Amino acid sequence: MNITDVKLSYLIEYFLDFIPFLSVTLQYTLLAMAIGIVFGLLMAKGKLGKNRILKGFANGYTAVMRAIPSIVLLFLVYYGLPKIFMGAFAINLTRINKVYFVGITLGLFNIAIMSEIMKSSYLSVDRGQYEAAVSNGLTSSQAIIRIVLPQAFRISIPNVGNAIITLLKEGTLGYTIGLIDSMGRANQQNALTFQNHILEIYISLAALYWILTILLDRGFKAADSKLSYSSRAKERQTVKAGEISKEVAA
Amino acid sequence: MLEVRGIQKHFGDQHILKGIDLSIEKGDVTVILGPSGSGKTTLLRCLNFLENADCGEMTMDGRKIDLGRASAKDKAFVKDRTAFVFQNYNLYNNKTALENVTEGLILGRHMHKDEAIKTARVALDKVGLSDRENYYPSQLSGGQQQRVGIARAIARNPEIILFDEPTSALDPELIEEVLSVMRKVANEGTTMVVVTHEMSFAENVATKVVFMDQGVIVEEDTPQVIFTHPKEERTFSFLKNIIHDTDYVI
Repeated sequence: MNITDVKLSYLIEYFLDFIPFLSVTLQYTLLAMAIGIVFGLLMAKGKLGKNRILKGFANGYTAVMRAIPSIVLLFLVYYGLPKIFMGAFAINLTRINKVYFVGITLGLFNIAIMSEIMKSSYLSVDRGQYEAAVSNGLTSSQAIIRIVLPQAFRISIPNVGNAIITLLKEGTLGYTIGLIDSMGRANQQNALTFQNHILEIYISLAALYWILTILLDRGFKAADSKLSYSSRAKERQTVKAGEISKEVAA
Repeated sequence: MLEVRGIQKHFGDQHILKGIDLSIEKGDVTVILGPSGSGKTTLLRCLNFLENADCGEMTMDGRKIDLGRASAKDKAFVKDRTAFVFQNYNLYNNKTALENVTEGLILGRHMHKDEAIKTARVALDKVGLSDRENYYPSQLSGGQQQRVGIARAIARNPEIILFDEPTSALDPELIEEVLSVMRKVANEGTTMVVVTHEMSFAENVATKVVFMDQGVIVEEDTPQVIFTHPKEERTFSFLKNIIHDTDYVI
């Protein structure tokens, strides 16, 4: 096959064929984000806290997760978890939708990623603002909740965006356990056409992820600038100007 | 009003404060001078528990506090009666100028929101920033930010305001606007403790000048005496280095 043989009509056909399977991608990404945010927050708290055992555990967990290849963890979760549940609680997990196994696997990685993002965002808010708050009559938790965390949250947005994009892409490994997401679908189509459309199929798939990434990137950039304090200030001032012009009109 | 005896503070094996005694009367403007590393800032921070002193005793409004074992209630008692103005302003970057001032009033003083806004507007007016109340710190110049910092302090109507090198981070042309606000606050009879290198402020506004070096108070007296007839050689040589107009000193 020659690159010039790639047909545009096939590219479009496969591209449209893959789109509905993004719902599977959405499912495991959401599951992984939920796991990552909840447990990542606890881990970040452990990393920032004074308790040495929690700190050691949180740092150790991150180090281990960084070292394991995704596919190895996926196999451990997919083949290992049902065995453990069968042995310990006599619960059969083998008939559960595979998307959950992929979501849990990605979630386990994401805990490490999110905890690092949360930790560094928290630390990047200047400690002086916390000091100012407690010396200005706020309690320590009020200072953290009202002053430090809102800023940390905003700082974390670009990194969280990157984490989500990584999850989307890593999830394609789910085809190895038979998950049919857009990647799994591409493999099916490839088999059905006896590899005759292999270029069209995978170029379409790459384009799909490319566009998805661009859209997400735009979304996060928009959220980032929407939440920036200078744009909020402009809004306030325009609101104020609006009120004044209304008054003048009245 | 505020009296401290024998404050000591170590950072690691560095002995920063080696037994400081200081008493501050109502209406005093006490300026603390001294070379960098002499412990001025640490002393100021110990006075409202931004640092915890190793040992020492504080009496404030009749309440005796053992600084080595101050309870949370003791700290809250002192923080409630003091306000702190920081070298780096430490405004809350996620809050507007007005919110920077109201935050401590609403949460710390449990003031009703409308009343807090009214109080904050009076304070912002006093520092000449009524027209900037909806600006975020990132939209204000250093001098304006520091004036908001002062408004934040005076709005709470504390018994003592502690100023930690309030003009050291400012461009020379912005220093005067902050100093003039400080003079205004001093002239209203506010009790102030000021760590600064602004000799003109010490000379003209202070009621008492304290000279510190290497963790001890070397000498304290009225500015007239300190600037014309210092008793200690160390005070003299420090002032000689700072004030180029040496013929004025002695």
